Amino acid sequence: MNLKKTAAALCIMSVCALSACGSSVPANTVNSVDDLNGKTIGVQLGTTGDIYAGDVEGAAVERYNKGADAIQALKQGKVDAVIIDNEPAKVFVENNDDLKILPDAFAVEEYAIAIKKGNDELTEQINGALAELKADGTLDSIKTNWIGEEAGQHPYTSPEGTDRSNGTLVMATNPEFPPYESMSGDTVIGFDADMMQAVCDRLGMELVIDSMSFDSIIAAVDSGKADVGVAGMTVTEERLENVNFSDPYTTATQVVIVRKD
Amino acid sequence: MNEILEVLYKTFIVDDRWRFLTDGLKNTLTITLFAVIIGMVLGLITAIIRTTHDKTGHLKILNFICRVYLTVIRGTPVVVQLLIIYFVVFGSVNINKLFVAVLAFGLNSGAYVAEIIRSGIMSIDNGQFEAGESQGFSYTQVMIYIILPQAFKNVLPALANEAIVLLKETSVAGYIAINDLTKGGDYIRSVTYQAFLPLVTVALIYLVMVMALSWLVSKLERRLALNDRR
Repeated sequence: MNLKKTAAALCIMSVCALSACGSSVPANTVNSVDDLNGKTIGVQLGTTGDIYAGDVEGAAVERYNKGADAIQALKQGKVDAVIIDNEPAKVFVENNDDLKILPDAFAVEEYAIAIKKGNDELTEQINGALAELKADGTLDSIKTNWIGEEAGQHPYTSPEGTDRSNGTLVMATNPEFPPYESMSGDTVIGFDADMMQAVCDRLGMELVIDSMSFDSIIAAVDSGKADVGVAGMTVTEERLENVNFSDPYTTATQVVIVRKD
Repeated sequence: MNEILEVLYKTFIVDDRWRFLTDGLKNTLTITLFAVIIGMVLGLITAIIRTTHDKTGHLKILNFICRVYLTVIRGTPVVVQLLIIYFVVFGSVNINKLFVAVLAFGLNSGAYVAEIIRSGIMSIDNGQFEAGESQGFSYTQVMIYIILPQAFKNVLPALANEAIVLLKETSVAGYIAINDLTKGGDYIRSVTYQAFLPLVTVALIYLVMVMALSWLVSKLERRLALNDRR
């Protein structure tokens, strides 16, 4: 009896859903960054896209908890454009035939590892490891494995016999930001995950990845629940007052995604 | 001292950030108010249909629809309902998000209110129905003049509880990019990367609202209890 009811309910819901389909999504009205004035812009809360969108004249900013939700809203005509980091943007556009990236981009920004304010010792250790990884080309190799033409051709593996006697390093991240971090089965993969694995290999530590929502990461680092936050986080002056950032490990730009005409 | 002032300044004053909290509060209150109204109306109708069916055996189809409504709404989380209404039911329509939230939370609350009111109606002794009907009242009149006023008084604390739960549940409205109170705090957190002050402030505002609501309800309860003294 209960099964029947559930089935009936599902039928009712799908009928409702179908009835709403069919009405058309409005045509794209944004063809350059200048067109953004006065439009409705979707962003992921707390990304630099959010900050940029706030500076656009007369624009209404809709802050979604996830980049994917903002993209969904764009596809359905609920927002006119989405401002998001260029690499995730490419992945979203690849998976959605009806979307495109505008050629003009915003300023270049730097991603860094967030560490609890005042934990200068760990900050220096990580900076040291990052400097070594940059010097011996490991960081570049990890980057090309995830970004660009040769993606997937340079997988990172920990050197054999790596000593892990210096304890564990807990990394807080939000695995909804490909190619920097995403889920594959129940493990977090991506540029940031490999980069941190390489850092831990250098420091002789065990890497533990803790997945959470993007806006919990800083609170987790701040309260000591996680040692570092790594989620394509951009350094800004204001953020530096409340967390430590490592040296930047890569650069990115913000781009505008719109519907295809 | 200066440090505290500086944190306060950066959290609330710079770029008029307090506006995210006040605008958020406005949205939270709007959603709650209208959702409570929808929930009460929907809940009352559902409860009356369900009890009428139980007592008289009429309204079979309506009763079935009500049971489906209760099963589906109480069987799924409110965030999922909100997302389904926004992204699936109103999939390709650019619709006012506050309306979506009011609808989602109202529909959700209605299911719980229905069961609360139904328990209130069932708590009234069947003798009252019989007494009313023996005095020549119709079923509807017995319901309106004898049963519902007593039932309402019995379930008032539970109804107030539901309103409080609803007020706090609206904190997930941020999932569809509504700037509610919680989202306002989250936004401030995301620019300053300082978690303590925005979170505690948001919590205090909810607490004050809930305390005010409880105080109002306890006044109403006392007022309704006046004619109990005999």
